[in-house]
Amino acid sequence: MAQAVTTLTENVLREGLILPRTPDPAVMVIFGASGDLTARKLMPALYNLALNRYLPSGFSVVGVADTAISEDEFRSRVADAVNKFSRSQPVDRAVWQSLAEGLIYLRMPFGDQEGYRRLSALLQQLDHDRGTNGNRVFYLATLPQFFPVIVEQLGSSGIAHAGDGWKRVVVEKPFGHDLQSAKALNQAIHAVFTESQVYRIDHYLGKETVQNVMVFRFANGIFEPIWNRRYVDHVQITVAEDIGIERRGKYYETAGALRDIFQNHLLQLLSIAAMEPPPNFDADTVRDEKVKVLKSIHAIDVDNDVVRGQYSPGWVAGQPVPGYRQEANVSETSNTETYVAVRLKIDNWRWADTTFYLRTGKRLPSRASEIAIQFKNAPHQPFARTAIQGLTPNVLVMRIQPHEGASLKIAAKIPGPVMRLRTVNMDFFYGSSFLIESPDAYERLVLDCMLGDPTLFAREDEVERAWALVDGIEQAWATQTPNFPNYAAGNWGPEAADALIERDGRRWRRP
Amino acid sequence: MMEHSELATRAFVDVHAIQEELEQLRWGLHDDGEAAEHAAAEARASVLNLITVVGNETRLRVVTRVLDRLSITNPSRTLILLAQHDRDSPKLEAEVSAQTRTETGHRVTTERVILHAHGEVATHLGSLVTPLLVPDLPVILWWPGRPDFDNPLFDSLCELADRLVVDTDEGFDNAHLERLLGVARRDEARASIGDFNWARLIAWRQIAAQFFDMPGMLPRLAQIHGVTIHHGIDGSLTQAKLLGGWIRSRMASVNIEVPVELRPDESHEHGVGRMLIVTGGEGGVARFSISRLQGARLCAEIRIGDQDFASRTVRQAARSAEELLAIELLLSGHDVLFERALAAALQ
Repeated sequence: MAQAVTTLTENVLREGLILPRTPDPAVMVIFGASGDLTARKLMPALYNLALNRYLPSGFSVVGVADTAISEDEFRSRVADAVNKFSRSQPVDRAVWQSLAEGLIYLRMPFGDQEGYRRLSALLQQLDHDRGTNGNRVFYLATLPQFFPVIVEQLGSSGIAHAGDGWKRVVVEKPFGHDLQSAKALNQAIHAVFTESQVYRIDHYLGKETVQNVMVFRFANGIFEPIWNRRYVDHVQITVAEDIGIERRGKYYETAGALRDIFQNHLLQLLSIAAMEPPPNFDADTVRDEKVKVLKSIHAIDVDNDVVRGQYSPGWVAGQPVPGYRQEANVSETSNTETYVAVRLKIDNWRWADTTFYLRTGKRLPSRASEIAIQFKNAPHQPFARTAIQGLTPNVLVMRIQPHEGASLKIAAKIPGPVMRLRTVNMDFFYGSSFLIESPDAYERLVLDCMLGDPTLFAREDEVERAWALVDGIEQAWATQTPNFPNYAAGNWGPEAADALIERDGRRWRRP
Repeated sequence: MMEHSELATRAFVDVHAIQEELEQLRWGLHDDGEAAEHAAAEARASVLNLITVVGNETRLRVVTRVLDRLSITNPSRTLILLAQHDRDSPKLEAEVSAQTRTETGHRVTTERVILHAHGEVATHLGSLVTPLLVPDLPVILWWPGRPDFDNPLFDSLCELADRLVVDTDEGFDNAHLERLLGVARRDEARASIGDFNWARLIAWRQIAAQFFDMPGMLPRLAQIHGVTIHHGIDGSLTQAKLLGGWIRSRMASVNIEVPVELRPDESHEHGVGRMLIVTGGEGGVARFSISRLQGARLCAEIRIGDQDFASRTVRQAARSAEELLAIELLLSGHDVLFERALAAALQ
């Protein structure tokens, strides 16, 4: 049947489908392809995206590493990793086979010019054979010292700008070691890529639970009006871990709790809890609001507002555990902190004079990440003093993990002829409404990157502002020798941390 | 590891007694010590009221199993109506129970009422249902099998419901599909409609859409020549009709008329086996095909002129009744695309 040719401006078949957009066919070049992150996180994430029809036809992966293995061996290793670490089991062989057809291994040192010439030729070949049109994700899953080397080579070899198509670079944590190194890394990356091409991963932001905090605040009209200094007494943000440093002694010795958790996860939670409602959910709009929070943090008086700690041997969950200095690859005289508590204020109209207490630590009694908003007491209690004995103010807790959900502590009357009140918890578990398996954070983040949505990635100014805060604390610490260890494993941190909050007439929550 | 425990089961006939029992179970005030302990352990989440109508005990057992599994993702108040209006000896009985399921550290609880009615009262169960619903939560009516469109019970429940869910794979002919569409298009008290068959086609629709998301492919969609849908040989065409109706209605939204041909395919017993979209465009005729393979997979291929352009295999696991129902329960309001696809399927 002859009909006039219509020009379509959008894909009308896509309307109403859950997946808003399919990424363009692309090649993901993973540097560090023989490493742990690729095996445990990246390839299982890619497999699950393929399984659930999120990946386009022609999607290809070039694994780059300097490990002496054949392509067959590489594929077999990756297949083993997917079998072992994929959240959906058993692995569907046909789907895996379909993905593996576009899986190639390239052995080369990360600084080798000749290697990049081979990579360039390979990418052109893939564009021709698999229709990937010059679209690239360069995933830096290597040790951090290789980040600038790889980016520089991608630039000088012309790969970063070759042909049509978009080019994006994903940079894993840690993004720098301090402000200076973060700036140097940003500079090195910007010599080749513009900021809009850079995706700095903090996998915490890919967690459904962290995104839920924003939904909780901005999709429920009843909380925002009381989310300010007028009603909030103080805020406690906790990222507690019961585990030690596991096999990461070498890394942890150079990082410590301040760089490992405070600089990224804790400050991300603070930003999300304290930010103004964004007018829309565009990447830059959301990140603008988060950066404003970081910029509004009042100068921290390290001597009075920061406590560091390190665990000694103790008991966790009924098991004896070694102290930090007895862990593998840790110095016997190490002064690396495994605990940090920070008391800070945010200088803006919403939060002026409201104190935020942030803490993180290893080998604490339990694993818990949460944001707790403690409200002020009711301005006047009409009940007799005896009736309200033991009554505590309202607390709203948003639990990130485990047992994601929210709870609100309220006062209620104890049944009986006498007016006596007590505090009860109203608990809501997301799990009791949605027992649906959440995607892994990496699935969400890899897909967002391929779709060109950087909302859940850290921006240059966000990272640098966070490092500036950390640097201020590190510099003050450098002038003093801590008296470590100062808390036994299985306790809620050093006594000084209790004193930090008790000075304000408050107490740490037991999460 | 999943655990399942039933808190209490008691029989009642008086609606106030049923309401009282539900409240006891819900808030942990029950005098049964174990029930109280379980129910009081945490606050409860409920996301909907679910009404199901069955005509015999066999179907009741099947539906109960489906709802048990569904409760993992949808804590709800469930009312199962075993309505046998054609049986003599009028009877009305109610069983009230609560089920708790625990999985990966989470617990969900559902309350369930089974109303068993014979004779005339079976056509008036709607009046008993209303006081048993949890306020402020959506009401979903799931009618397994083909609804008895002429039964007054059907009309009264549709008036209560926000959404009617059926499975048009269960013996719906064009006349039944017309009646179903009529429910969504009534002037007053119209429920939105959901169909398991529509949910079964999600993967087909996604892949077909993704073909034209690929760079350079969108102009080909405007030059669509026609669509052929191959279906199983068991005589059930509803799925194929719906898929054809979908693509016709979508293209009609941009004033493009698409010829759709349905063709039997002996390699499949039931359902859609293959979809072929043929378009014109630069480089010659393009054939976009989706084929159902053994082992619950779909193979998507693009051929332009005489060149194979792209191919991939993805999963299309057969979905269980509770999974299909769970998909329907997540939707709210009218599924306009489905209603248009259904209307186009009937043209």
